[in-house]
Amino acid sequence: MTPVLEFQDVWRSYGTSAPVLKGVNLSLDAGEVVGLVGRNGAGKTTLIRIGMGMLYPHRGSVRVFGMSPTEQAVAVKKRIGYVAEDQALPPDSTVADLIAFHRYLFPGWDDAMERQLLNRFALREGAKIRQLSKGQARQAALVCAVCHRPELLILDEPGGGLDPVVRREFLETAIQLLNREGTSILFSSHHMSDVERIGGRVVLLDGGTVRFDRDLAALREEVCVAMIPGGHGIDAEAIGRIPGCIRVRPVFDDWHAVMEGQPGETQRRIAAALRIQGVRCVPVPLEELFIELAVDPVEQLQ
Amino acid sequence: MQFVVNPSDDLPLYRQIMRQITEAIAGGRLQRGEKLASHRELSEQLVIAPLTVKKAYDELEALGYIETQRGRGTFVSATVPVTARKRQLGHLEEAARKLLSQAYLAGLSFPDAVSLLEEADRELRGIAPLQEKK
Repeated sequence: MTPVLEFQDVWRSYGTSAPVLKGVNLSLDAGEVVGLVGRNGAGKTTLIRIGMGMLYPHRGSVRVFGMSPTEQAVAVKKRIGYVAEDQALPPDSTVADLIAFHRYLFPGWDDAMERQLLNRFALREGAKIRQLSKGQARQAALVCAVCHRPELLILDEPGGGLDPVVRREFLETAIQLLNREGTSILFSSHHMSDVERIGGRVVLLDGGTVRFDRDLAALREEVCVAMIPGGHGIDAEAIGRIPGCIRVRPVFDDWHAVMEGQPGETQRRIAAALRIQGVRCVPVPLEELFIELAVDPVEQLQ
Repeated sequence: MQFVVNPSDDLPLYRQIMRQITEAIAGGRLQRGEKLASHRELSEQLVIAPLTVKKAYDELEALGYIETQRGRGTFVSATVPVTARKRQLGHLEEAARKLLSQAYLAGLSFPDAVSLLEEADRELRGIAPLQEKK
């Protein structure tokens, strides 16, 4: 089966600065959900824009439904819904104008879905875009992005800068689409609880590549964080050599290591490898795991 | 029946659902043969992915607590499996010792510990607590 979205060895830089993306490989099958996470500047938006055909990759290839998003832009865009964090909407148009324009572009427009969403968001159709709050403008953009019932929905930080109520409404809409349409979804977010709710795979972009790509449901049971006491002549290299070690970083006088495996078994594995006591392994919520994996490994202040 | 999930809990979301369903079966709040919410209903009600609900239901079905009848929905099994009592007894004795030792260390008496168990029993069976929690 052709993946819905596929990035192969994608590279991209801006001007003469160091590349933002350095060989990203990522693919999404039909009906799959991927939560794209990473720190600011990790390249999430760049990757999404390449997927949307708004930027060219400097190297590598991108395919959407097996097609090139730049060369077959119309055929691809018909089947995608997209909401950007900084979505620029025409300020003098009304909500109704904006929707009429999208309905004209997309023949398969679902009027019932449009009604339902406008009601849920309590959006006034006569309101001009400039009169809308940030959250309302993003809701209007979402209505325009989903009512043609896209096979692939791409949301670039849908919750960015929005209050929890609007964020939850975005999630509800996405989950409704998952249930009723089987839509594939790629969304980037800094809200780990939203990533947990929407499920699927979590992909961490860091240093220009995919550092971590794992099914969310299994993540908490397959990965844990080990706290290893400092001293004892143990260094990061020794910890890194333990089988299943994903990342090590110093935290004050101790070490934190992200490890493959369940806490109990991992604790014994580490204690046996380093021949020390006082190792503690805990399962970690996504937010903590993200920090362990994505924080810069700088030396802590003494 | 109502469920609550918390994404930042130590337990993954699907396990939180599994635990709430098994507790409801144990306490009789879910009766044998009773119909459960569909994947879609529960997913939309809790605002979590339908696949997460499916995973919880699949695991519960593999354990024998619930069963799916094609085209009709998911039901609490007519014969909920009785876990091998002898093996379970050992675990329960250990859990009881742990509960009592923690209660004594917290300065509770034996009757205090028993009333904790009574409260837990009322909660499992869905009966209002005897007194307001302080």
